[in-house]
Amino acid sequence: MSAQISSQLLNVACGLFLLTAVGVLWRRQVSALITLLTVQGVALAAIAVILAEQHRSAEAATIAIGVGLLKAVVIPWMLRRVHQQLPDARETRPLVNVSTSLLAAAGLTLLAYSAARPLVALAPTASAKATPVGIAVILIGFFLAATRQRAISQIIGLLLVDNGIAAVAFLATGGVPLIVELGVSVDLALAVLVLQILTSHLHTAFGPTDLDELRELHD
Amino acid sequence: MNTLSIALGTSLATALLACLAGLVMPVKWRTRLAGVLLGLSGAAGVLVGALAVTGMVWRAELPTLLPLAGVSLAADPLSGWFLVIIGAVTAAAGVYAIGYAGRTSHGPGSRTAMAVVPLFTAAMLLVPLAASVTTFLLFWELMAVTSLILVMTEHRHHKAVRPAAIWYAAMTQAGFVTVLIGLSWLAAATGTQAFDGIREAAVSIRPFAAGTIFLLCLLGFASKAGAVPLHPWLPRAHAEAPSHVSALMSAAMVKLGVYGVLRLGFDLLGGGLRWWWLAVAALGALSAVYGIVQAVVATDLKRLLAFSTSENIGLILLGVGFAGMLARSGQPAIGAVAMAAALLHTANHAGFKTLLFFGAGSVQRATGTRDLDKLGGLSHRMRVTTALVAAGALAAAALPPGNGFISEWLLLQALLHQTPNAGTMLAIAAPIGVAVVALTAGVGVAAFVKMVGTGFLARPRSDAAAQAAESPPSMLTAMTGAAAVCAVLAVVPAVTAPALARVINSLQISQTPLSEGLLDLRLSGISSHIAPLWIAVGIIAATTAAAVLARVLGKARRRAIAWDCGDGPLTARMEHTATSYAEPLQRVFDNILEPVADVDVTHSVESQYVIASIQYRQQIPDRIENRIYRPLVAAVQKLGAAAKRLAPGVMHRYLAYMLTALIVVLVAGAIR
Repeated sequence: MSAQISSQLLNVACGLFLLTAVGVLWRRQVSALITLLTVQGVALAAIAVILAEQHRSAEAATIAIGVGLLKAVVIPWMLRRVHQQLPDARETRPLVNVSTSLLAAAGLTLLAYSAARPLVALAPTASAKATPVGIAVILIGFFLAATRQRAISQIIGLLLVDNGIAAVAFLATGGVPLIVELGVSVDLALAVLVLQILTSHLHTAFGPTDLDELRELHD
Repeated sequence: MNTLSIALGTSLATALLACLAGLVMPVKWRTRLAGVLLGLSGAAGVLVGALAVTGMVWRAELPTLLPLAGVSLAADPLSGWFLVIIGAVTAAAGVYAIGYAGRTSHGPGSRTAMAVVPLFTAAMLLVPLAASVTTFLLFWELMAVTSLILVMTEHRHHKAVRPAAIWYAAMTQAGFVTVLIGLSWLAAATGTQAFDGIREAAVSIRPFAAGTIFLLCLLGFASKAGAVPLHPWLPRAHAEAPSHVSALMSAAMVKLGVYGVLRLGFDLLGGGLRWWWLAVAALGALSAVYGIVQAVVATDLKRLLAFSTSENIGLILLGVGFAGMLARSGQPAIGAVAMAAALLHTANHAGFKTLLFFGAGSVQRATGTRDLDKLGGLSHRMRVTTALVAAGALAAAALPPGNGFISEWLLLQALLHQTPNAGTMLAIAAPIGVAVVALTAGVGVAAFVKMVGTGFLARPRSDAAAQAAESPPSMLTAMTGAAAVCAVLAVVPAVTAPALARVINSLQISQTPLSEGLLDLRLSGISSHIAPLWIAVGIIAATTAAAVLARVLGKARRRAIAWDCGDGPLTARMEHTATSYAEPLQRVFDNILEPVADVDVTHSVESQYVIASIQYRQQIPDRIENRIYRPLVAAVQKLGAAAKRLAPGVMHRYLAYMLTALIVVLVAGAIR
């Protein structure tokens, strides 16, 4: 594969990565969100594979496959199970409405690009130029978690943040060592598992899980 | 690898062993082994200091010990002077702890306390050796944290320990922050964090920046030194810590605040401007007067000693301040004498304050109380301790032949002999300084006469005091050692002259303050001289002669009943207590102290002309604390309560905070 095509493919994957994050803000149906997250997982795996191919590193390829399995298969599967338990988990009244959210996403993306200029200037390669995409996804994930009411939306926000961090790690440094990635991934899977159990318990205890109504959490 | 590094290695290794011994040894052997090892570590520390004071050059770079910055150490005469003091106090504290902590598994003999003391002393030994900003801050903070743990040693036994620890933690951390800001600024302004580099580049710092850096660090150093008005932690922490820790803190740790001022002002910043030193001297004068006035009315033995620490630190800072001013006004010779007075007083104070805190610890151990009003009569049951404490009190009261007298005399000489036409500032400041020294010396005598007179002499005023028993030999040995050092410093202070000359030279005042000569202390540049040995011999001879003559020539002693106004036998309750002894002085300083007195008169039921009982309660609050710190604490608490509204328990709010913080940081980065 020539370097030209490789960097084009990388750009396509990064574009898809960002687009799915924006899509998550746009759609409200939980099943659609999970589908978008699956697509994003695939895009992230694609980024990792392309970079592994560029660096010709077997370790990076292993990591890429592992990340793909986790983010595109395992986690969506876990989320679907949550969804089956809570079929009415549709985001009905977000704190910020959808059109404003989309504008905010645009603003956050611009901010990510301007804030990452020094990073890009360090090594002006195709992958480094795509780093802001990861930062934008982190910010969008945070935004989603902060403005949505349902517990499952918060999980998805967290997953967006994690995807963003993983993308930055891949794009800026060519991937973290296997052991670190392994630790992070196991951590994430555990977090989602805990949140899944917590959400279903919340549901059995309080009915539809609207986090804004849980105000007893302060000290 | 020279002798100094071997000595330092020995000192640190034995400290580590003492720490391990404290951790793993069974109760039966713990304090003995840890105490002996701590004593050895201190002795090796004295050797390190002595080698450094004689001018042995030593430096070490350990770049791998700390990430990014590494550790860099260096010894010079200035650090040597303070190392000798710290090492000597450590050695004494190690021996004292053997008896003081005893074979108990709680309080001062607990595993934590025995293991942390060596870490504390090791950190103190490393502070003066630090040769870069990060190394200095690291050991400074290590010293603060370990001493905080030690202050909390008896938190299960006394209720007052916890608030004392909180005050100490808050003030030492606040001080650390100002030092951190100051030294970071200094490193940024000079472009290097090594002290060598800073020394060279310091001339290029703008005067405004240099002055602000100095003031910031002065705040932190003065709060560590316990100078008024940054002192409220000191009477609490010194009183509530175990006594060997009080001695370590009062005699060694607070001195490092002075070390910080000297290192930064004279060495790193090259001497600075006159107003810096005026500020230091003003701080010193305030501490000296306020400290001794509070000490004279204190009824808690250790609180009295703690305020006396504030007073002595005040005198030291006064000397340092005048040394700086005199050196900047073209009188380096007189400045050198003032500096010699300050340095000698650090050693003298370390000597007698170690002795006195050890004595206070013995009293507390024997009677379970520190309240002078409830003591008395200890001279019969604790003869050696009483004699040693009396010697320490003599030194602390700055009376000849005590060692405190020598350094205060030197300070007065410097203040009196400065040229009157050296500028308005000095012409006004020097007489005020003389007045401050005179006032503190006078009130100090009253404070220490009160301490010995009401605490140790007369008849016991409580059962606990009546049943006191003499301390074990290790404690008496440690106290005797401290007293011996005081005696040497009192009788032949000239032995320190060569060391003082080298230290002052390293502070960039190239003058020799004292001429050589073992028995006669001659000042260079000033025509006065003093012969402490002959003073001591004279006083002892005169006293003995008076006693012998009175015995031989005087009338025979007649025993009779004391006049009791016909009101039955005299009881111990009718003695002078600490409160009543200090009452006249308290009236004199009424405007400063503002005591709160409360008199309750209960009349008899039959007739209002007959009084059934009178209750008198008196409190002397720390006025500076009430005026400055109470409002501050109240404001912070209000702010904290208001800040609670920021945390309503809504998860979205918390996530929004994180997002906002992230965005603010990114925007700030993007704009820059």
